Amino acid sequence: MMVDVLVVLDAQGALPSRNALEVLGAAQRLADGSRGKVKAAVLGGPVEGLAAGLFEVGADQVLWLEDPLLVDPLPEAVVAALVGVVPQTSAHVILMADDSRGREVAPRLAHRLRAGLVTEVIGVSAEESSVRFRRQGYGGRCVFELEATQFPVVGTVKLRTMEPARQSPGKGKEEVRMSIGLDPLRVRTRVLGKVAEEVRGVRLENARVVVSGGRGLKGPEPFRGLEDLAQVLRGAVGATRAATDAGWVPLSWQVGQTGKSVSPELYIAVGISGAIQHLAGMSGSKTIVAINSDPDAPIFKVAHLGVVGDFRAVLPSFTATVKSLADR
Amino acid sequence: MNIVVCVKQIIDPEIPTEQFRLDPASKRQIRGGLSLVISAYDQNALEVALQLREKVGGKITALGLGEPEAQGAVKSAMGMGVDAGVLVSDPALAGSDSFGVAHVLARAIQKVGMPDLVLTGCVSGDTGNKMVGPLLAEELGLPCLTFVSRIEFKDERVVARRIVEDGYERVEGPLPLVASIISDDSNVPRYSKLKDIMAAARKTVPVLKAADLGVDMTRVGSAGRRLLLRDAIIPQRESRCELVPGDTPAEQGERLALRLRELKVL
Amino acid sequence: MAPFRELYWNISAHWLIYPLFLPFAAAFVYGCYRVVRTIWSGQPEIGIPPVARMLRDLLTQAVLQSRLLEERVAGGIHAAVSWGFGILFIATCLVAAQDYFGIPTLRGPFYLYFMSLSVDLFGLAAIPAVCAALYRRYAGRPARLWKPRDTEGYGLFLWLLLAVLISGFVVEGLRIAATRDPWGAWSPGGWLVALGLTRLSADQQAMWHRAIWWGHAVLAFWFIGLVPFTLIRHILAAPVNIALRRHEPSGVIQPAALEEAEHFGISAIRGFQRKDLLDLVACTECGRCQDACPAWQTGKPLTPKGLVLDLRDHLAREAAGKPTGKAMVGGVVSEETLWACTTCGGCHHACPVFIEPIPKIIHMRRYLVMEEARFPEPMQAAMRGLENRGHPYQGAVPARTDWAKGLDVPVLSERGAAEYLYWVGCAAAFDERTQKVARALVRILRAAGVDYAILGDEERCTGDVARRIGHEFLFQMHAQANIETLNRYDVKKIVTACPHCYNTIKNEYPQFGGRYEVTHHSELIARLLREERVRPVKPLGKRVAYHDSCYLGRHNGIYAPPRDILRGIPGVHPVEFERRGERGFCCGAGGGMMWFEERIGKRVNIERTEEALRLRPHAVGTACPFCLSMFEDGIRAKDATDELQAMDVAELVAAAL
Repeated sequence: MMVDVLVVLDAQGALPSRNALEVLGAAQRLADGSRGKVKAAVLGGPVEGLAAGLFEVGADQVLWLEDPLLVDPLPEAVVAALVGVVPQTSAHVILMADDSRGREVAPRLAHRLRAGLVTEVIGVSAEESSVRFRRQGYGGRCVFELEATQFPVVGTVKLRTMEPARQSPGKGKEEVRMSIGLDPLRVRTRVLGKVAEEVRGVRLENARVVVSGGRGLKGPEPFRGLEDLAQVLRGAVGATRAATDAGWVPLSWQVGQTGKSVSPELYIAVGISGAIQHLAGMSGSKTIVAINSDPDAPIFKVAHLGVVGDFRAVLPSFTATVKSLADR
Repeated sequence: MNIVVCVKQIIDPEIPTEQFRLDPASKRQIRGGLSLVISAYDQNALEVALQLREKVGGKITALGLGEPEAQGAVKSAMGMGVDAGVLVSDPALAGSDSFGVAHVLARAIQKVGMPDLVLTGCVSGDTGNKMVGPLLAEELGLPCLTFVSRIEFKDERVVARRIVEDGYERVEGPLPLVASIISDDSNVPRYSKLKDIMAAARKTVPVLKAADLGVDMTRVGSAGRRLLLRDAIIPQRESRCELVPGDTPAEQGERLALRLRELKVL
Repeated sequence: MAPFRELYWNISAHWLIYPLFLPFAAAFVYGCYRVVRTIWSGQPEIGIPPVARMLRDLLTQAVLQSRLLEERVAGGIHAAVSWGFGILFIATCLVAAQDYFGIPTLRGPFYLYFMSLSVDLFGLAAIPAVCAALYRRYAGRPARLWKPRDTEGYGLFLWLLLAVLISGFVVEGLRIAATRDPWGAWSPGGWLVALGLTRLSADQQAMWHRAIWWGHAVLAFWFIGLVPFTLIRHILAAPVNIALRRHEPSGVIQPAALEEAEHFGISAIRGFQRKDLLDLVACTECGRCQDACPAWQTGKPLTPKGLVLDLRDHLAREAAGKPTGKAMVGGVVSEETLWACTTCGGCHHACPVFIEPIPKIIHMRRYLVMEEARFPEPMQAAMRGLENRGHPYQGAVPARTDWAKGLDVPVLSERGAAEYLYWVGCAAAFDERTQKVARALVRILRAAGVDYAILGDEERCTGDVARRIGHEFLFQMHAQANIETLNRYDVKKIVTACPHCYNTIKNEYPQFGGRYEVTHHSELIARLLREERVRPVKPLGKRVAYHDSCYLGRHNGIYAPPRDILRGIPGVHPVEFERRGERGFCCGAGGGMMWFEERIGKRVNIERTEEALRLRPHAVGTACPFCLSMFEDGIRAKDATDELQAMDVAELVAAAL
């Protein structure tokens, strides 16, 4: 069947963000094979140059959703806006990133549209008379295959898992400006303030290299060793839920089911046993290295390279060798 | 402040990989001899509720939905100190998707009596779904705060810390509202007092059926699902882990770096 | 003529001693009454041991003071003082016997050999002993006498006793001089004093004699009157405590009935049994328990002496109706103190009056854990693991039988029966390092042709850690489940490599109807070596220092078999720790401490590892998975992995096969 996809994006600068490209990639996969259309709805308003970038990666139409409440919007505002817009686009599938906003917007939108809902999608395919979605379940231990035969369906795309959109100019180049006219009283919650946790160097979700620490570190101090290593590798530091629940490191460092999804080139897991909820956030990494003193730790079942040993003794020499290799 | 906390009973997820098995017919996990626990983030939600009650008073009700064994989860919540527990259990509800679950929970909450605050865990401990909180908000027509911790009650409004990609936001909303709770060092679930556990074990938990709640049966059960569950597979991992040799950990560290360079990863 | 001494010579109106004694006697009686009433305010159920056993304990410990004498100097001083005091007291009573009943104690050879010579010699020995005690206490100031707080309990007494002794000899000397006693030399002390008194006239001697005689009486009566009000009450309380002491091994904790209990654990001083309160009263503040305590020796706030003193003072204030308002648990005894105890039993085995701090600590822990649910995080996680998974380890763990993969280990459910059930324990199943010990043991069993099987997945944690932490409920659940499984298979003999499992199954499961013949793997291996059913042939060429596990050694008296094993392996040169055997120093993991992150002071296992490193062995030999873990951790922390290894005795034997 022909699948028309509506992709919901933030207005974040003139170039489509990495998250946007991943969502568009999923849309491409559905629309290309089925000869459907991809429409990109951008929250906030026209951004100079962005439309061109979106067309280049397969968008047939760009909808600028304009309203003051859609600038850095609250989920409730986005839901209200999309409830009006989606029926007008006659899209079969509505996709957005599975980020802190998408997690709330998608279910609420699906409820109001009486649409289907699938979250953290890791694979999509257009079938003869249905659309199939794949997502992980049981913390990543298995993969579910779901089928939608009724539409629309709202979906969130698991980040750092699907291929980003390829260069593929769309069939149309239409830009539509839509003035939404949201009632501020409908948005019942407020953001009082924002605290950005200090990100030294690279952002975790975009890092090429991630060095992560878990329960085996037994405290916050050893994370400094990981930060040193991350700095040498020009990467970011992550952590498991055990470490963040204990308050050793900020929550925004968490990789896993309730943390970030990452798929760097290199993921180094230090003192991490490999609880399934953590694996759910990093199993897509290209090369996984595990350092753990327990040879039976599940992490070794997913790692490509492993060192069975005490990280306190392994890491310093590893860091030193990496440094000297970099210096050459 | 009256609070309802939704608790889900799941099979203990902290098990070795070999003990995880799927039933090919129902596509669900086979329990075997594994224990049943309350989903982790629901436990954090219970802890948040208990801390709020300590500060501002009120009544906490634990609401469970599931098989008859889910009584254990409700009793466990009562052992932590919540004031009352209710279980909704009905074979007709089996196989419901998140929409169905949210619908039934909403009906049950209305039946029990609309509280000031409805709490759920942010993520379900088995399916990994994050939907029930926001769906509940829609069903009940309430505002919603997702992925929050550190809930406070200030000037008739709820203030909380919401986790976002690069840090957190301080958010607030009016009562009543629905909040989905994420874990952090402020809401580590407390250990239950033995007396409370034993007292809870002696109590009977009222069990409600779909008919008691006026549930719209077209939206629940396997038939009410909006998407069909076609398959569930356990992916086979073919990769073998190459263990880096070495007589000492320091040597292993060095060899690891060199190997990564060999593989052109570094 | 027959030797004799005139009764009450020179003391006319000697009947006055009775009205003189009266107020002191009244004070004594009143004081004793108060003490007894205080003890009686506790819970009833003092078990009375059989008479023969009580007499034997009194003889060996109260009279011969064998445990006290394990410390040569201090014990010697105390023996001289106490026997001196005792003999002199008996002598005085024998004088009264002549006065009231006409028994001729001051006559004949008995008078010479006992009443004169022996008594004088004991008295003479006591004097330098008292001086030595004074010197030791006030000049030497050993830490165990003065910490955790200064004690002035004995100063007055020692001076008083000295005065009584000296005045006694002076009185004797005056009498000998004044009466020109023909048998004076039979009392060497008095005789020596008399030599110095020749300058005085007979009248002066008589006058001084009378004065000092009355003075001596007053001092003695004063001493008696003060007994119940000061630490000297131990001359009465200690023998009673010794006679009534509990005879279970020090590693055994008594169960509590939980079903109908109103409250769990003990949170008020009156909740303790009377015997426990007697313990508090009998304490002499000697501090030997403190010297033996691994927590105190590494800077934690826990000292058994401090615990007993705090509880005792709290009891006194409560009984006097002057409560301070401080809660016993958390206030009088801090929570850090309670969570620092490894239940090693060093205090139990050091105390000369057989005080038991461990059950008191466990009772208070039960209150914190079961009543208040207020206890350290990692222990909570261990308890949750026990509830949900039947073992205290968390995170992603292997299955219970993974260690045995590929080794063809027989499982009881398939075999049906076997001579020995090898109880593997949670450490060997879930801790990677300990799995090697299990594999080594299985190799040995197979080589020796021992018929054994394991329970496999049917095994649950014995519950030891739950009971030591104070979660009696969880312990009983596990004990009952395990006993049911064991009885279903009609298990008779059990062998285990873990002393904690050993102690619990052997000594504590009978409390719930589970009775089995339990052997520790070191005992079994030692026997197999003796019977040559297993022959280690490869010389290992190692110096091995054997570390006594508290639960194997001190609590269960098994010291020799692991040493026999080491001697039986070719090329192994055994070396002893200084703190060994019954005086061994804990590794730090008992009492639930394996699941506790020590933040105060030095870590106990680091202390013991340093002690090991000083011996410069190739390896430390262990017979307990906790000790093994603690040494591995300590060796890593001291960066000594190149110099020192930790190995279980089974691994050493297997390596030599």
